[in-house]
Amino acid sequence: MAASEFRVVDAHQYDYRSPGRWIVSHLVRRPLLPLVFVLSAIGMALLQSRGAVLTGEAFDAIVGGGDDRIAAFLAVVLLILAVRLSFGLVDLLNSFLAQWLAQLIERDAREELYVSLLGKSLTFHNQQRVGDIMARATNDVQQLNAMLTPGASLIIESLISIVVPLIIIGSLNPQLLLMPLLFLVSFVLALRHYSAQLQPVAGALRGQFGTMNARLAEAISGIEVVKGYAQEAQEQARFEANAQRYRDLFVREGGVQARYLPLLLYGVLVGLGFAHAAWLLIQGQLTVGEVIAYMGLLEILRFPTFISTFTFALVALGFAGARRILQTITTETELDENVGGHRATIAGAIRFADVDFGYETAAQPPPWPGAPEIPARVVPVLRGVSFAAAPGQTIAVVGQTGAGKTTLTRLINRTYDARAGVVSIDGIDVRTWNLDSLRSQISTIEQDIFLFSRSIADNIAFGVPGVADRAAIEAAARQAQAHEFIMALPEGYDTVIGERGVTLSGGQRQRIAIARAFLSDPRILILDDSTSAIDSATEDEIQQAMRQIMRGRTTVLITHRVSQIRWADRILVLKNGELIAQGTHDELISQSAAYRRIFVRLEEPEQGATTWAL
Amino acid sequence: MGFVMDGLDAEAYDRSYGDRALIRRILSYFRPHLPRMLVVSSMVVATSVAATVVPLAISRAVDELSGRPDLQLVLSLAALVTVLGALGWVFNFVRQTFSARAVGDVVLALRRDAFRAVTQRDLSFYDQFPSGKIVSRVTSDTQDFATVVTLTIDLLSQILLVLVITVVMFVVDARMATVVLAVAPVVILTALVFRSAARRTTQRAQRALASVNASIQETISGIAVAKSFRREAAIYADFHATNQLAFQVRLRQALVFGSLFPFLNTVSGLAAALVIYVGGLSVIDGSVNVGDWYLFVQSLAIFLFPLTSVASFWSQFQQGLSASERVFALIDAEPRVVQTAAEPVGVVHGELAFERVWFTYDRTTPRFDGATPPALPTGATWVLQDFNLHIPAGQTLAIVGHTGAGKSSLMRLLTRFYEFQGGRIAIDGRDVRQLELGAYRRTLGLVPQVPFLFSGSVAENIRYGRPDASDDDVAAAAHSLGEEWLADLPEGLATDVGERGARLSLGQRQLVALARVLLQDPAIFLLDEATASIDPFTEAQIQEGLDVVMRQRTSIIIAHRLSTVRHADRIIVLRHGEVIEEGNHASLLRQGGHYAELYNTYFRHQSLDYKPWEG
Repeated sequence: MAASEFRVVDAHQYDYRSPGRWIVSHLVRRPLLPLVFVLSAIGMALLQSRGAVLTGEAFDAIVGGGDDRIAAFLAVVLLILAVRLSFGLVDLLNSFLAQWLAQLIERDAREELYVSLLGKSLTFHNQQRVGDIMARATNDVQQLNAMLTPGASLIIESLISIVVPLIIIGSLNPQLLLMPLLFLVSFVLALRHYSAQLQPVAGALRGQFGTMNARLAEAISGIEVVKGYAQEAQEQARFEANAQRYRDLFVREGGVQARYLPLLLYGVLVGLGFAHAAWLLIQGQLTVGEVIAYMGLLEILRFPTFISTFTFALVALGFAGARRILQTITTETELDENVGGHRATIAGAIRFADVDFGYETAAQPPPWPGAPEIPARVVPVLRGVSFAAAPGQTIAVVGQTGAGKTTLTRLINRTYDARAGVVSIDGIDVRTWNLDSLRSQISTIEQDIFLFSRSIADNIAFGVPGVADRAAIEAAARQAQAHEFIMALPEGYDTVIGERGVTLSGGQRQRIAIARAFLSDPRILILDDSTSAIDSATEDEIQQAMRQIMRGRTTVLITHRVSQIRWADRILVLKNGELIAQGTHDELISQSAAYRRIFVRLEEPEQGATTWAL
Repeated sequence: MGFVMDGLDAEAYDRSYGDRALIRRILSYFRPHLPRMLVVSSMVVATSVAATVVPLAISRAVDELSGRPDLQLVLSLAALVTVLGALGWVFNFVRQTFSARAVGDVVLALRRDAFRAVTQRDLSFYDQFPSGKIVSRVTSDTQDFATVVTLTIDLLSQILLVLVITVVMFVVDARMATVVLAVAPVVILTALVFRSAARRTTQRAQRALASVNASIQETISGIAVAKSFRREAAIYADFHATNQLAFQVRLRQALVFGSLFPFLNTVSGLAAALVIYVGGLSVIDGSVNVGDWYLFVQSLAIFLFPLTSVASFWSQFQQGLSASERVFALIDAEPRVVQTAAEPVGVVHGELAFERVWFTYDRTTPRFDGATPPALPTGATWVLQDFNLHIPAGQTLAIVGHTGAGKSSLMRLLTRFYEFQGGRIAIDGRDVRQLELGAYRRTLGLVPQVPFLFSGSVAENIRYGRPDASDDDVAAAAHSLGEEWLADLPEGLATDVGERGARLSLGQRQLVALARVLLQDPAIFLLDEATASIDPFTEAQIQEGLDVVMRQRTSIIIAHRLSTVRHADRIIVLRHGEVIEEGNHASLLRQGGHYAELYNTYFRHQSLDYKPWEG
């Protein structure tokens, strides 16, 4: 079993070897449902064929004459009634089963994907865009549903409702099989030809719609730039070119769809089939009723002929979705809970010894048909990073966006594992620590603070559910300078945050996160403070809260604020993944030109102004 | 072919155009394609006729076969059926290709009109419509627009077919025709009843699905928090319950959908048995012959199926009309910014003046001449009242003030993104409303708070305002901002900036925007400084780059950075659209007035010696 950070007890094990097997393993999990589905489809086809034959018999009963023809006719009509009614019932059963199966597979696949997402390491999550994952968990999962019903279930029904009438036709008179068999062969060929023609055009059309949409969205979001630079005409020309290409593809697709040959084949089949049957009747080999039965049986073939284009497209979409879902589920995650690992109270010494880290990008399928596959590769992020922090120290990490600051902090709580070198806490390699013990003593306050759509109290107590009472939550909020603004909210601590509740400002979210950290009382604190407060009053409160929480804990602080950098115990200057300088402010001012440069403009003219600071 | 359950999730939409006006306007887009539409319509008729003749021919032949068959006649009837089958395909082919062309061209024309209209609107229009909505109106709604017409053609062809068959049936035998016709209301009623049941369950199912998706979204967005506090099991339990609930609700919906066709099939099965029964008796009493009997058996299926699509037509049609209306609303929106002339701009020195300018965001207030403004509707306020400001050429002016003081409004009026109601704005003494708008805007170099980049390379973005600029010019502009920022870009000028510049940091995007301004070489530079924090290294590069851009240029900056106010030639303090203080940083700070208060609010914490915890 693959490594995972989270599992569900007794989860059903599906087959991950290919999308097809995966779908099948979902279906056979409850074998009775698909079995009864197929049986009911066969039953439907049999009843439908029987109905056609009986209609023929009704005609024979009347045309054939005889004294008791009314009685015979009435018997046949009653039979027809019975057959049609039972057809309705079996149809209902069949339809229910199809819907049920489709909903089940959607539910189960979603659950499976969700659990596997929970089990993935943050390395995985940080490489994915939320939008991509959401697309898989929503669209792709729903496409599975549509692929099964109406997609696959219609295909199975179509197949059965071609085979069964043919058997019945054979039993009427084997010679009658001639035309339907010819039709069947040419139908299969025509269908293959059709989908081979349609797929590239339909794909190109969808792609072009995306291109047109993306460029349009860009032009409209950037309308200030477009207008500011008087580039309206250029944008119009660009959009019109895109819209024209879309129009051309649309017309081409319409042309392919208009040439759907199976329709022609079916039209011809009706005529030729009838001629054949009539000829056999004149030869004395068929009755009128049998001709009518035969025509009725041919009528059953009409539906599969019409519907196949639609169903095959659905199944192809569903398969593509299944492949993407499976790809996500089977992506290996490298971290494990490490249940038997080291457990201890952390003192707070952090040490990096020659640490390298890089993201491994997965091999990508070719971007367009015929292109080579994009191979997996490692994108280096950190190289040869070494430093040490004593318990209780504050370490400021500075550097440009993309220099590797956030990555460096994420190696500490094993969000990622180093590719080379050792990250240790209290002298013990983080990989030796029990993951629970390690993470529960390290708190991270991210740059973009995520709060769940629950009450503020629940959010603050998120790390210690059920343990903290309201008094403890309030105490934490007070320490985080958050109590006052929380009390000003309509329902105080019970105010719900998020889409269905109130929206908090960045500074308020930051203080809630600090309160959350107070409650979980971590030994090591990772603080990403690179967002900015707009006004000094908010900033005063945040900085006071930060000072409070940093006291007595080892803190790794990512910050853009020169005033904070200045007072840190140790400053790490990162550039392109390398530690180009480290030391105290005074040491760096004398040693590092890059570091000195950031203070030049701020120290410049009047020192008088800075005395204004409170 | 219309499915009964289509168009269930149609939204209620407030309509401001009448149905007739709307349809007339839709048809005007189809008018250039009248010949094509005529072909399409004649194909619709031909298809209906062919579809009716086939069962007639077969019935005639069956009748022949049930007596003493004439081989010649039967075979020629069979040949007729074959030819009609092939012709039906041809009719359909012609109809589909022609309508694809007509629809493709109409959608293209509509998209072009819509986008042109959109690019000609001033920015007050964009405040009204979020960009996502504009995009969907231009791309998706235009597509739905065309469906109104194709849907109508489809419906007409179905109705035509039903009518033709009805007539034929009545001609053949009125009694049996009445039997068949009696089933029609049952089918339509069934379809309608199912639709209203489906509408209710669909809404519930959509809500259930939305809450599952929201739950997944929240988990993925908050995964880092959940993991760092090890709360996976708890959020899984929440999800599991939501997913299970959604399953139940959606299964109920699926079962409603799934029972429609079995039900309709049963109805038509019973009708078939009835037709066979009545027909058989009629043959015995001699009122119809065997062929006609068979004709009714065949006609039943052709007759009933189109009826189901009638049920869904109306809501789909309304949906199409709403889409059209949304598109026309885009096209018809009135532009607010009006130029009174289009004089060539010529060489600009960069002296600016606001003279007794009045401005409100209220879209209903018209422009006025003279000194007395019209009364504003309730709720609306003047952002600028009788506002005056003179900026000499070459000055660096920093504007400070609280949110809502009117800082951005000044910029928006200068760029002519919004129209002002009274007074005059002049550049080198000339009224900006009289200048050729595109040329005037090219004399302004604008860098907004969050600079917008188009997907493409850094070089392409620098070149955006001057598509004809050479590679050397682009490189020169980029290099004049310093070398370090280029070295930090992984592939230098060729670096792909990603969608909306997402692959670059905010600071890097600002540097690209500055290079873009340098290449454009405008007389006036307008900067709305970022409020977001930028790492100190990139910040230093930006500040150095700004020095280059502001040299020799009139510069107006909405200042958020301490270093900017310190270096500005002149600072104006804005409150409620009025200049309440002006001077330079040192003198204003000494005064201890409004500027000092603003400094204490917005700039104090940027100072090097900031230490609130010791306060």
